[in-house]
Amino acid sequence: MGAVLGGLTLIIAGLVFFVVPPAEGLGDYVRIAFFHIPVAWVAVIAFFISAWQGARYLRSGDMLADAKSAAASQLGFIFVILATVSGAIFSKLTWGAYWNWDPRQTTIFVLLLIYGAYLTLRAAMPAGVKRAKTAAVYALFSFLTVPFLVFIIPRMYFSLHPSPVINGSGLAMDSVMLAVLLAALMDMTGIFYWLYKKQVMRIMQEER
Amino acid sequence: MNVSLWQGIKRMFCKEFVLGLRFKAAWAAMFMFALTTLACVSLALQGGQMEPRLAAALLWVIVFFASMAGADRGFADEDTAGTLLILKLYGGAQPVLLGKMLYSFFLLLVLAVFIVLLFLVLIGVEPVFWGVFILTLVFGVAGIAAAGTLLAALATGARVKNGLFSVLMLPVILPVFLPAVYLTAGALGGSDTALNYLGGMALYDGLLIVGASVLFDYLWYED
Repeated sequence: MGAVLGGLTLIIAGLVFFVVPPAEGLGDYVRIAFFHIPVAWVAVIAFFISAWQGARYLRSGDMLADAKSAAASQLGFIFVILATVSGAIFSKLTWGAYWNWDPRQTTIFVLLLIYGAYLTLRAAMPAGVKRAKTAAVYALFSFLTVPFLVFIIPRMYFSLHPSPVINGSGLAMDSVMLAVLLAALMDMTGIFYWLYKKQVMRIMQEER
Repeated sequence: MNVSLWQGIKRMFCKEFVLGLRFKAAWAAMFMFALTTLACVSLALQGGQMEPRLAAALLWVIVFFASMAGADRGFADEDTAGTLLILKLYGGAQPVLLGKMLYSFFLLLVLAVFIVLLFLVLIGVEPVFWGVFILTLVFGVAGIAAAGTLLAALATGARVKNGLFSVLMLPVILPVFLPAVYLTAGALGGSDTALNYLGGMALYDGLLIVGASVLFDYLWYED
């Protein structure tokens, strides 16, 4: 699976740099979006998986669910850092500042804090049932912020971000761009899934 | 001993109140933190005026961190005194959680009143819209109390000290903190404030209380 994903990533990178045309108003900077959007998407997906597996752990007491929740958070933390850094670079190049507390920057920052807090909590406790239970409770409790991040924050602050690109109402994207972006999204999701499987196995082995 | 939920909450609140009066460490830490911070800011400003937005942010930073100085003690003190196990034997999960939450709300409300009074005197700002200002304060404090009580139980169970509580608190409380700053700035500056944020804060407070109530059982009862 790793070789297939590696090949696909190279093809997508080639498409991003040699086939995708510069975007109106953004020029070549738009190429960052083909990395930034997929990593941000995966960071959010990982958050949902972590909370879902946390809930599964609380219901069943299955340590595999705890390992899955932890693995999703560990990878989510890396992806959210990548999303934050790539977003800040894009922001500097296009809007002149690395950080301006745009609604989506705020959302990704809250996500970064949640992942950081969850991983700090896990790191501070010895492995076992108590840690699994405590971490699952925190994963679910922090999940309560989702309605706020989705519905309140975007209405509270002015945004420079383009509107969601997938529905075609925001960033002017031609069909080639959209196709490459969708491929990049699938590729990044695949990379996450591959790493996630490996990480779950590693955590299970460590806790045995 | 079978008592109704409300009776249990009331007893828990009274116990916390009496203990709070007897051992004043939590009160003292929070109030002294607020006093020291506000005095430092006022000294630094030397009578200079502050923009409403900046004043609102400062007020909520002080409320938040002053509450951090004492809100995590609810379960930690029980644990240190060895009474947590007794509480587990005699008290149901919900009366304990909701009673401690109610006490925390009361304590933080008194603290917020203290901070606001000092703020008005030392910083020299006054709200234009008192109603919005007070409601924001109440909803903000309710959110901190709700999240703080569950996370205090979680941090105590984790047996981890040294700053973990604030690390766990901040991401969860930001949905209260940000609208609170926004509404307070509007109330101080007299500008139009979107009052539906008050509804949003109340809704999030409700969500935190329900979420804490559901999840607390998992922390309280051992397998």
